[in-house]
Parts: sequence; C-alpha cells; structure tokens
Amino acid sequence: MERKNNSKRRAVAFLDLLKPYIYLFPALGVIVVFFLGGFILALIQSLGYFPAIGLDDFTLNYYKEVLSDPQFLESLGYTLYIAAVSTAISTVLGTILAYALLKTSLKNSIISFLYKIPIAVPHLVAALMIVFILSQGGVMARFFIKTGLITETADFPAFFFTRNALGIIIIYVWKEIPFVAFMVYAVMKNIHRNLGEVASTLNASERQVFCHVILPLSMPSIISASVIVFAFSFGAFEIPYLLGVTYPKTMSVWAYYSYISSDLMERPVAMVINIVISLICSCLVLIYYLSTKKYLRRWD
Amino acid sequence: MLMSNVFYKLIVVCMVIVFVLPFLVLLVWSFSQSWPSNALFPNELGLRGWTYIFSPHSKVLSSLGLSLLISLLVTGIAMLICIPAGKALGIYDFAGKNIVEILVLAPIIIPTITVGMGIHIVFIKYGLADTVVGVILIQLTVVLPYGIRIFASIYKALGTKWEEQAKVLKADFWQSFRYVTLPFLYPGIVSAGILMFNVSFSQYFLTFLIGGGKVVTLPVLLFPFVNSGDRVVASGLSLIFILSSLVLMIIIEKTVSNRVEQTEFYYL
Amino acid sequence: MKKIIAILMSILVLLAGCTGSNSVEQKDNTLEKDWDSILEEASGTTVNFYMWGGDERINTWVDTYVADSMQEKYGVKVNMVPMGPDEYLNKLLGEKQVSRMEGSIDLVWINGENFKTARQADLLWGPFADKVPSYNKYIDKEAPDVAYDFGYPVEGYEIPYGKAQFVFAYDSAKLENPPATSEELLQWVKDNPGRFTYPEIPDFTGSVFLRHLMYELCGGYEAFPYTEEVDKEKLDVQLTPLWDYLNEMKEYMWRNGETYPSSVAALQQLFADGEIDISMTYHPSYMSGMISQGLMPETVRTYVWDKGTIGNTHFLAIPFNAPNKSAALALCDFLSSPEAQISKYVPENWGDMVALDINKMEPEYVEELKGIDTGIATLSSEILQNHRLPEISASYIPVIEELWKERIIQREGQ
Repeated sequence: MERKNNSKRRAVAFLDLLKPYIYLFPALGVIVVFFLGGFILALIQSLGYFPAIGLDDFTLNYYKEVLSDPQFLESLGYTLYIAAVSTAISTVLGTILAYALLKTSLKNSIISFLYKIPIAVPHLVAALMIVFILSQGGVMARFFIKTGLITETADFPAFFFTRNALGIIIIYVWKEIPFVAFMVYAVMKNIHRNLGEVASTLNASERQVFCHVILPLSMPSIISASVIVFAFSFGAFEIPYLLGVTYPKTMSVWAYYSYISSDLMERPVAMVINIVISLICSCLVLIYYLSTKKYLRRWD
Repeated sequence: MLMSNVFYKLIVVCMVIVFVLPFLVLLVWSFSQSWPSNALFPNELGLRGWTYIFSPHSKVLSSLGLSLLISLLVTGIAMLICIPAGKALGIYDFAGKNIVEILVLAPIIIPTITVGMGIHIVFIKYGLADTVVGVILIQLTVVLPYGIRIFASIYKALGTKWEEQAKVLKADFWQSFRYVTLPFLYPGIVSAGILMFNVSFSQYFLTFLIGGGKVVTLPVLLFPFVNSGDRVVASGLSLIFILSSLVLMIIIEKTVSNRVEQTEFYYL
Repeated sequence: MKKIIAILMSILVLLAGCTGSNSVEQKDNTLEKDWDSILEEASGTTVNFYMWGGDERINTWVDTYVADSMQEKYGVKVNMVPMGPDEYLNKLLGEKQVSRMEGSIDLVWINGENFKTARQADLLWGPFADKVPSYNKYIDKEAPDVAYDFGYPVEGYEIPYGKAQFVFAYDSAKLENPPATSEELLQWVKDNPGRFTYPEIPDFTGSVFLRHLMYELCGGYEAFPYTEEVDKEKLDVQLTPLWDYLNEMKEYMWRNGETYPSSVAALQQLFADGEIDISMTYHPSYMSGMISQGLMPETVRTYVWDKGTIGNTHFLAIPFNAPNKSAALALCDFLSSPEAQISKYVPENWGDMVALDINKMEPEYVEELKGIDTGIATLSSEILQNHRLPEISASYIPVIEELWKERIIQREGQ
C-alpha cells in the first residue's frame, strides 16, 4: 500500500519535473526550428558549405575575404556609430520622459496616449515623415528660406545620405524615446507607489529620491530597454538602405546587396557578414550586461 | 515644488509635440495636389492620393486585410505559446534553464536579416516561401521573445501561492487558470498583445524576403512608394497604416483590460 | 547538450545537403500546343506578373487597363507583383538551386544585364517568342534592338515590351541653355557648385549616365565592341578619361560628391525639391507625367545631348519554372498588341514608347498613335530618333559598376 503510494508520488514528482519542459515545448519548438535553424544555416553557408550551388567544402576563405575588405572596418564603424549614438540619446531622453511623466499629473490624460503613438508607427513611416521635415527640400528648410534665415536649400544642414547619419539617428531616436519611456515608466510607477512615500516621510529631497531610489531601482528596465534599442538599430536594414550614405554602407545593407547579387558566389559573403553582425552584437550586449551587473543585482 | 511640476509638464508637452507634429505634415502631403519646391504650403489641394488608395485596383484594402489577418494570427498563436512558456520560466527551476533563457533572448539580439537569409533557402525548398504560412512562422520567432519575457515576469511576481490556494479549494486546472491566474495575466495580455502586434504589423524585411513579394502586406506595399518618392500616395498609405494600428491598439486595450489598470511587467 | 547540438547540426547539414538531389523534371509541353488550346488552358487562371513597382502610373495601368482587358479577352486574372529584377532573379536562382520546378513567377519585365544573367544561369523558359501571334505580326524580328538586348542575342527568350530613351531634364524657369555635351556639363557644374548629381551605381539610370560620358570621353560606343568576357584591368585603363572627369567634377557636385542619391527616384526628389537643377530619366515622357500630376513644376523640360542619348528596348520573359506558362503567353500577346502598346504610349497612362514596327501596323492604329499628345515636356519622336545611341554589351556593365565603386567611391576611404 505504502509502496504504491510512493510510486504514485514519484510519478507525480516526475511529472512535476517534466512540467516546465512541457510548458516550454511549443515556444522552444518554434524558436529552435525557425530561429536557431536559420542561424545555424546562415553559419553553415558562411563557412562555404552550400551544396546547392556546388560548394561543399568547409572553408574560412569567405571570412578572410570579408575581414580583409577595406569596407569592413569602415562599415562596422559606421554601423556601430549609428547604433551607439541613437541608443544613448534614446535611453537618456526616454528615461527623462518617463520621470517627467511620473512627476506630472498628466498620466491619465490624453498625453499618456499620445506619447506612445510613435511605438505604433513603423520605421518606414517614421522615415518618411522625418524626411519631409528635415531634408534640404523639406518643410523646415522652406520655412528658414521664407523667413530669410538662409538663402538657398544647400545652406540648410544635410541630415540624409550623409556620413554623420544624423537623419537616421533622429529617426531612430524619435521612434525609440517613447519605447524606452514606455518600458521605464511602468517600473517607475511601481517604485514610486511603493517607496516614494517612505522616502518622503524620511524627508529626503526630490533629488535624493531620484538618485538613490528611483533611478537605481529602475535600472534593470532602463538597461533592458537600451539593449533592445541597440540590437535593433545595429541590425536594422530599411532606414540605412533608404537614407544611408553611398560609402560606407551599414553592415546589414552590405549583407543585403551581397545576398541579392546575381552572382550566387556572393551568398556565402552575405552570410559571413550576417554572422559577424550577430556575433559582434551578442558580444556587445554581453559586455554591457557584465558591466552593468551591479545595478541588476540591486533589483533582486 | 510647483515650479518643478511645471518644468516636468513642459518636458512632457514638448516631447509629445515633437512626437505628434510630423503627422500633420503627413496629413498635408496626402491631400496635396501640387506642392512646389519653394512653397511652405501646397498651392493646390487634391485627392489624387486618396483616390488611388481607395480605388479597387490599388490593393490597399486587400493588403490591409491581409496585414491584419497575419498580425492577428501571429499575435494569437504567440499568445497561446507564450503564456505557458512564461510560466515555466517565471515559476520553475529546471535543468537547462540558463540555456533556455538565452535562447529566448536571442531573437531580440540577433538581427532578423541573419535568420531570414539563412533560412530562406530551406523555406524555398519546402514550399514555405511565398506563402502566408511561411510569413507567419518566421514572424512568430520575432515576436515570441517579447511575449515570453512579459509573462515570465508576471509569473515571477505572482509566484505559486494563488494556484496552491486554488488547489486547496479543489478547483480543477481550468477553473484555477480561468478564475485565479487569468485576471493577473490581463495586463500582460494587453501589453504583450500590443507589442507583438506592432512588431508583426510593421515587419517589412522578413515579410518581403520570405513572402517573396507575393504576400503583399501593408509595409510591402508601402516600401516602393517611399523608395520611389510618390510622396502623396506614400503619405496616404502611411496614415492608413498608423490609423489601423492605433485603432487595433485601442480595441485590444479596451476589450481585454476592462478597468484593470495597465501595468507593464517587462524586463529583459 | 553537445550531443544535441551535434545531432541538430547533422540534421541541418543533411537538410541543406540533400537540396540539390531530388529534382523532379516536369515535362512541359506548352510549346507544342497550338495557340487556341493555350488560350483555352489559360482561361480562368491567374498570371503572376513580376515587375518593378515604384511608379504609381505604371502600376495603375497594369492593374486597371491590362487586368481588365485580359479578363475580358482571355478570362485571365492579372496579379501584378511589385518586385524589381535584382530580387526576382535572386529568387529564381534560389529556386533553381533547390530544383523547385513549380515557382511563383509567370512573367517578368526584364532587359540588359539582367537578361544576360538570367540566360546564363538558365533561368528562362523558351524560346517562346514565335508562339506569340502579335509578336509574329507586328514586330520586326531582325531589327538590332529586338534581336539583341544590350548586345546579347535574344533568341526568342524574350519579346519586346517597350522602348525607352535617356533624356536629361531641367527647369526652364531657372536655366536657359542646359549643358548638352560632357564638356559643357563639367563647366556648368563648376560654375554652379552643388547643383548636380547622378544616382548611385548600380542604379539603372545612374549606370546609363556613366555610359554617356564613356561614349563622349573614351572613343564612342564603337570603342566597346560586343564581348562575352571583359578584362577588368584593360577596361580600367580604357576608362581613365572617365575617372579623371568624374573625379574632377566630384568636388563641385551635390554634397561635394561625397554621397549620391540612392536611386533615380531619390534623384527626382532632389530635383523636385529644387536641391539640384539638372535631372535625368530613362522615360522620355516621365517629366510630362510628373507635371500633369503636380509633382514637378510646369516649367520643367527635357533635352538630349548634341551627340545623342542611349536608347534601349525592354522585354518580357517567362521563367523556367513559371507555373502558368499559357497565361503568361496570353499576357505577352496582349501586351505586344497595338491597342495595349498605344494605351501604354499615352503619357497619363505611362508614356512608354511603342515596341512595334510602325510599318507593320494597320493604318488606323498608326493614325491613333499620331494623334496622341505626348505631353508638354516630351521631345518629339523625330528628335529622339535622330539622337538615339545604342547600348553596349551587357558584359561591360557589372565591371564598370565595380570599377566606379573602386575609382570614385572608395578612393577617399583608403
């Protein structure tokens, strides 16, 4: 009797042990097959194994070819620059906006809806709008000409197709500030509700509350928001494809041009660029996590 | 104190203006007929863009329908598989959890073009390329991480105590889920739903690559217009795009959340 | 865990590896059928027409006029898919590699080096031209611009769809005498810094612009005879005057030649916004169409260089794995019929030049053609005809593009 019970309990315990795997199965299935599968296929093709086009030896030649291309470092630098600057600006301004939302009584009004609109706007549309406004033939330049501040379109600073990529950065920032604010504000609101009053009763100044309570506690969400923004802008394709400078191309645009080249031998090159972007992006995210670990720990 | 309140209000209002103002330009462009290069405003308004958009042959309405269908299916399927996955990650400790966590994070970090180009040839081979099913499958991998993370953090905050309580009260699995867990999940369903829907709805590259130009969603239709510079049509299409995604956001928020205050649990 | 990865890897390798092996050659006998049974087979089906989709007018023309007529005449539904040649060729290559014999493209709009690539990779079905009645009836098969596409023999693998000729554009309210030779252009650019640019290569129009300079500076098109293989270094030497010219012009160009508009569409935007004063297009009536839509000022005019501008023919071709070849043939027949060609010639519709031989057309069609107003900014067909230069062999083009990148773009990077 007791043994039976025991084995039943054991069976239940075994089932409990399996439970998380069962719960995870569908999600992991999709990710492993389509995501990991895609990644590994890219990796295999980058190593020159591509029997469909008659390449069936593993080789590092394509890596050598890409890494020794003069375009490589310039392209990488350009990509990194765009991603880093847009991430930094969006993170800082997004956090400020989140805090400002917290400090105003506007939170339930229409404002709290309006600021989220850019999240729902695809990058393509954001690009279109910002080009309308900031290009040398755009609304802003026309306004300055009308008011006599500048005399011709060329006097207006160039934002697009430029090496400094200011236009691309502005598009990303416009789109990502609300995203960062959206993620950070939710957390700040919780903290504020739970701890803000305690802090005020202790007579802490507003500044002290912000620096010692709110900011550190919302750090994990700020960090995760900035990671998402960085990874996105590092690997994004549409905006630099439409508005980037002729040379250098960003890594993803370079990969795309190699991929659609009618010379199929360029495909392994595209895959190498893809793998390189993925590795660099993962490494940077890892370094970022490690260097911000102290903030993450405080949250637990 | 009062001063600082005004200061913060100013920040918020300024930023909101910056976020909203560009839409006005879009609106003006979509109604313009002729807008010469030196004029601050169009000197003639017209309906050329809107006539094109609403004419039956322009495919705008059918691609809007297809976009909505794909994104709602992606969001729905993702929701169904995210919630259990989130529970596993939020509540249980199990062997290999670290690896699973990295796997679930990876689709956010690894650029979508890598995965899309890598898997393209297999999709072609198995007939998934150029099909709606193929597009849904590839989009699922992109949206899943967002949902899983949201539900994982909700379950983490929730713990197991409520379900145990339900067990004590002899509720069966579905009762316990329906009456105990689900209410806690509502805010997560709203924010995950909105986020995943938006990621899917505005996805251009993967839809274009895997859909092969044949699965014409709104972004795929829009891209050539933005690229070729018919600004009037591009503006009108963009407005339709934004409007439909906003309407859907509001619908999700209103139907699911009914007065539950929207809290976002969302960490990486 | 290692084991799992190893298993996964080997599965994927297998997956990728066996892709080439299981080709099922489908017997295709469409070419053996007579025209009536082809039409019968096509009736009630859909044809997927892949074409560059960046011009609303062309899209509308295909979606309305062509689609309605095809439905009426043959009961065929036309599904226009907006995808340019780079992308669809890549798609076909991918399908070829995995031996997918049932593709998704029935008909493509193609020419030049894309046709050559497609033929060399065996991506096209044919020869089918002789099957098409209106091709047999209205087209001069021996004409050099029909029998050869950028020097590459057509051999019945594509049928002519239209003709185009390169023209320059300027705003007559701003400029009186636009530069009409390469020399004048250089001088003009120096006198008006920042007001000229051309689309980044490999944009089609940008690439043609370079060839005009090549013709003027490097010994005319005769200096570039037909060839299959191009010696890059030799060509580089031959093109030295071109690189010198472009590098001399560079610092006076828009944005000091540090960047170029990414496509011809971007160039037209700059022109419409008044950022540059000279533009270019491969459609002689493009500017008239833009003017009538209010997208360009009414004072814009087009012109050709004194020594002429390059013209070419664009074609229709059927991919090797087109699932519905009969309907593709039906669409080919309609598109090369006089009524479709005349409708296409109307500037509000598209303004593309007629690909048919005027001498073979019935008099009423010729009358109708003559009665069409080609638009305020369009040159007469006599002027265009008298200033028409041929294209060079397609093999040169990718090499020129590569050299442009090395000589003009990457120079300052190093």
